[in-house]
Amino acid sequence: MLFNRRKTSLGKTFQSGEIIVKQYDPPGSMFIILEGRVEIWVDDGGKEPFLVAVLEKDNVFGGISLYDNSPRISTARALGVVRVLSVNKRGFLQWLGEDPTFALRILLKMSERIRTLIAQLVSLRREVRELRQKVARIR
Amino acid sequence: MELEPHSRVAIIGGGPAGSMTAYFLMDLARRIDLEIEVDLFEPRDFSLTGPPGCNMCGGVISESLVQKLAISGIHLPNDVLMDTIDAYTLHTDQSHVRIRAASEEMRIACIFRGGGPKGAETQKPLPWQAFDHYLLELARQHGINRIPKRVKKLDWDGDRPRVSWGEGEMRTYDLLVGAVGLNGSGMSMFEELNFGYRPPKYAKSYIAELYFGSREVEQRLGKSMHIFLLNIPRLKFLALTPKGPYATLVVLGDEIDKAMLEQIFRAPEMVGCLPPGWQIPVQTCQCQPRIHIGPPRHPFADRIVMVGDCSSSRLFKDGIGAAYKLAKACAYTAVVHGISKKAFQRYFAPACRELDYDNLLGRVMFFMDDHMRPFSSIQETLIECIRQEQNDPASPGKLSNAMWDTFSGSASYRTILANTASPRVIHHFLTTFFRRLLA
Repeated sequence: MLFNRRKTSLGKTFQSGEIIVKQYDPPGSMFIILEGRVEIWVDDGGKEPFLVAVLEKDNVFGGISLYDNSPRISTARALGVVRVLSVNKRGFLQWLGEDPTFALRILLKMSERIRTLIAQLVSLRREVRELRQKVARIR
Repeated sequence: MELEPHSRVAIIGGGPAGSMTAYFLMDLARRIDLEIEVDLFEPRDFSLTGPPGCNMCGGVISESLVQKLAISGIHLPNDVLMDTIDAYTLHTDQSHVRIRAASEEMRIACIFRGGGPKGAETQKPLPWQAFDHYLLELARQHGINRIPKRVKKLDWDGDRPRVSWGEGEMRTYDLLVGAVGLNGSGMSMFEELNFGYRPPKYAKSYIAELYFGSREVEQRLGKSMHIFLLNIPRLKFLALTPKGPYATLVVLGDEIDKAMLEQIFRAPEMVGCLPPGWQIPVQTCQCQPRIHIGPPRHPFADRIVMVGDCSSSRLFKDGIGAAYKLAKACAYTAVVHGISKKAFQRYFAPACRELDYDNLLGRVMFFMDDHMRPFSSIQETLIECIRQEQNDPASPGKLSNAMWDTFSGSASYRTILANTASPRVIHHFLTTFFRRLLA
């Protein structure tokens, strides 16, 4: 082919199972998923970490430690081949000040996540209630 | 004076400024449940190769713009990317140094604004997509109405702007957005609307698409944009950018002529970036587009606003980033604060002023560069300082970062000046300068 295009893409590619950010790591960039899916795991000190969410393309992760400057609260792991774009902490905070629509977009993404988390919480509470009822019946 | 349900907006020009304004207008309006109609007038087909489909530009999307677009939900697809860059190579008359990206990922995109250089049409279908075509399609998918016609006349219908096109077709709009660029006759139509608009000052540049073939591009240029600070009279800026099988040559300077180009291609550092035995082709895809060098006057009024190159832009760099900034500011003002002159003055003008003010600092930097270029010892000291920073992993690389920001367009001239003028950088530069002098 005469006018071929060098195969290229933006961001950084991670292979399946690779860790993108690790829980308790120092705060840093935020990430946008350009391609693939990312698992979010939390280690609560129990036997094994538990899966909190599976995020798809266009979702953002790593933002919380960027906003509050605290260590990473979860581990992000590639589920299949994943391509992500990191967003500079300094740049992002500066752009937030310049462009109010950025904050709106991030708020929208965060509200989606809060909705999912509340739904998970509701279902957990339901499970706990059912278990309690079962225990009460057995007693 | 606000956009109301079923308000009509006309955008004249479908380059990045026009398409992004359309996209952000629709996106923001939808978020507040405001149904508006957006007509975008663009007669050109950006999938065509050569001059008919091209918007004449160096075609590099800066690191910060790639990130901002991604946050805004615009992810550049792989077929829009002719190449990606993770380094800049700075050449002087005698030597060069490579400045690597701080992060280990590809965040700078090299794109074609049109379907590709003249001659590429011999291969169909082409394995790439024009950036402008992609943005226009994105805006269309968001619900705008693209009218592929040339606008014939702009005038007023009472206090509202009216657009005439085709065979006597005309429509009155609530808001008129001018995104006509610097190169067409569009700016004069807006001047004739008598709201005080005067186009920005401009200079001429020279852009050529040089065909090397993919292997040679990879071998000679790699994943790096090459910037040349050559001591050639009247030359301000020279860059060679890899784009798949092509290398895009961008020349900025006063009175760019054949003699200057021959001198450029004879420079030893440039020869090192060209395939062996390469000759200037007789018929190459080249253009001499206007570039923005000074602010416009009165780029807005009641129900009218100008965005992109025909409004405020960045001096000599990141024109697409500036178009994005004004497109966002325009859409935000129109949807949230209204379409009156007062609203644009309060919420849109600061974005213009920031660009205009920053360009003043850019002018100072270019003035300093112009006057220092004949002194090769200063340039060689600069190269040496950057080389030392690049070879020292513990170095914060302040000068390298400042150079990176200058070339990539990622930061404002203000930030670059602040980084360059730090005591650490000045100390490093002066000690290296005197050490070289004594040696």
